[in-house]
Amino acid sequence: MLEQQLVNGLTLGLIYALIAVGYTMVYGVIELINFAHGEIYMLGAFFCMTFITMFGLPLFPAILLSMVCCLALGILIDIVAYRPLRKAPRLAALITAIGMSIFLQNLAMVIWGSRPTPFPRSAVPAIFSETAFQFSNVNISWMQVFIYVVAISLMIGLYLIISKTRIGTAMRALAQNQVSASLMGINVNRVISFTFALGSSMGAVAGVLVAMFYNSMYPTMGYTAGVKAFAAAVLGGIGSVPGAMFGGIVLGIAETLGAGYISSPYRDGVAYAVMILVILFRPSGILGKAVVDKA
Amino acid sequence: MSVRNSKFVKLAVLACAMVTFSVVGLGSAHAEDVIKIAVPSPFTGAEAGYGDNIKAGVAMKVEEVNKAGGVNGKQIEAVYLDEQCDPKEAATVSTKIANDKDLAVIVGHLCSSAHLAALPTYVRIGVPAISPTATNVSISDKNKDKKGRVWSFRNVYRDDFQGGFLAEYIAKVLGLKKVAVFYENNDYGIGLKTAFVNKAKEIGLDVVGEEAYMKGAQDFTPQLTKLKSMDPQALFIAGYYAEGALIADQAKKMGLNVPKFGAEGLDNVDYIKLAGDAAEDTYMTTPFLAETASDKGKAFIEAFKARYDRDVDYMSANAYDAAGIVIEAISEVGPDRAKIREYLAAMDSPEKAYDGVTGVTYFDAKGDSQKPAFVKMVKGGAFVPAEKQMK
Repeated sequence: MLEQQLVNGLTLGLIYALIAVGYTMVYGVIELINFAHGEIYMLGAFFCMTFITMFGLPLFPAILLSMVCCLALGILIDIVAYRPLRKAPRLAALITAIGMSIFLQNLAMVIWGSRPTPFPRSAVPAIFSETAFQFSNVNISWMQVFIYVVAISLMIGLYLIISKTRIGTAMRALAQNQVSASLMGINVNRVISFTFALGSSMGAVAGVLVAMFYNSMYPTMGYTAGVKAFAAAVLGGIGSVPGAMFGGIVLGIAETLGAGYISSPYRDGVAYAVMILVILFRPSGILGKAVVDKA
Repeated sequence: MSVRNSKFVKLAVLACAMVTFSVVGLGSAHAEDVIKIAVPSPFTGAEAGYGDNIKAGVAMKVEEVNKAGGVNGKQIEAVYLDEQCDPKEAATVSTKIANDKDLAVIVGHLCSSAHLAALPTYVRIGVPAISPTATNVSISDKNKDKKGRVWSFRNVYRDDFQGGFLAEYIAKVLGLKKVAVFYENNDYGIGLKTAFVNKAKEIGLDVVGEEAYMKGAQDFTPQLTKLKSMDPQALFIAGYYAEGALIADQAKKMGLNVPKFGAEGLDNVDYIKLAGDAAEDTYMTTPFLAETASDKGKAFIEAFKARYDRDVDYMSANAYDAAGIVIEAISEVGPDRAKIREYLAAMDSPEKAYDGVTGVTYFDAKGDSQKPAFVKMVKGGAFVPAEKQMK
């Protein structure tokens, strides 16, 4: 049973990790907790479903297109809701973030209705629901394998973008000091837009994976997932990309083991308890660096 | 800085004023020529899909009545109030309803938790309510005022009835011995589970495990993994269809292929849509079965399908009848809260019952209706009546 719970927890954790990197990158660059990120994740699933059912696209082009839409939406949200408040106190941007989150949630309810919707089954390869590996009492489905492969390769890709490309270097520079970075000729707004785009496209994929895995999506699904991913980002050390990945996986496994061995109504409680413990004993998160507050 | 601030303050004041006026405006417009019914249910938030079912049923009834000329020359208007199935919101909404004298009677609430939270206000101020769906047992004891008058009625049976009914059905009709229980951690799920487990103990049905989940959860694999290791022959799901479908689906994926059982909370076509193949072999109790419906019921099923392009669910059918009952009361005694209550309380025998699409409805001294339960099941991707019904 333990092995199976670990497999389940890893699946959940990788999805949290994909959402969490979006939170952590935006926080790293402009120190904003983008609460509308959970809604991007929800919209990713709905966009993908719509492309499949309305335009008859196959699964993979639909996922790619949904990533593109969410990427554009992420940039748009930044321009509409956050950019005008860049110089305002941080609390103001936080409030517009929450407002944006509620707005997107209700918009989705108007467009797609409030009833839970299944993911179009016909678009998902039949093999996904079959067992890929079976050791004594552990069962891993192809869907889970797919989640592992997609999530891990996206995260490797993300890591390469941040550490090896010019724009990635610019992101890191901005995270260190925005004023100095702009003095060095970095187009601050463009880098911030890129950060939103990158995080949003990851969130979109997470949404699609969840919708495929559980075969269910609804307009409010972004809230819980968003809060959990935020917790994962804090757990790993907010602002740190590897931290968010690691935090997501730890949170997913802690939650699953908590539900399996302690008590299932407290599964969310277990997840948050882990977060609180980490913050108490390591305020900067597991992989976060103790940062001196910017003067 | 200060200029910007004062502008902002003005704007905020203006916005608040506009909102206030629009709410007041809604409350007082055409008070003379319409009669209003309050329909508090979840219309936004995670449970909005269920509220949608209630709205579909009530709206259909109200439209029919209005098309036929209304009640005593007045049109009926349903006022939908959103409480998100949240007890806190329901308490707020209940005060709003009670203080708005134009709202004659209530069809709602949908969720037991919300209904329980709103009940004290209705009882204290005196607003009659019919809930089409709240099945929790404790409602029966909390709906009387100091003079012993019942203010809250329901045209749905109670959890203790259907929980016990299901335990007997599993053990006696289907002859299964070991069952695992999965329940939603709220008034509905716990009430249903408790009734089921008590009955199971009484008749020697072995409950091998009990696991809870929170509303809106998507991942049930940890609990299912644990239940699977107990090797149950059946899975009892005390909850609603959105989560129930995911439980069935994930159970199947992990190789737990056993019949599923549930109460009326599972009864919706979306259950089959969401769970797909995994929905097969799910049995559920329901107060409304299309196949055993009267001609009136069958006509309703057709009309519902034509209007909304989906199969009717029991929530919509019960909401349709609940609206029918209160509209009948209004047409007899006028939009007076106390008189409506008296009228509903007097519907206490089969002779004085309301004859609706879900059969006859009358209330006992606690405001509960005595409705039979039918068992239906999923077979070949559709709901069919279970082969064996229990008498």
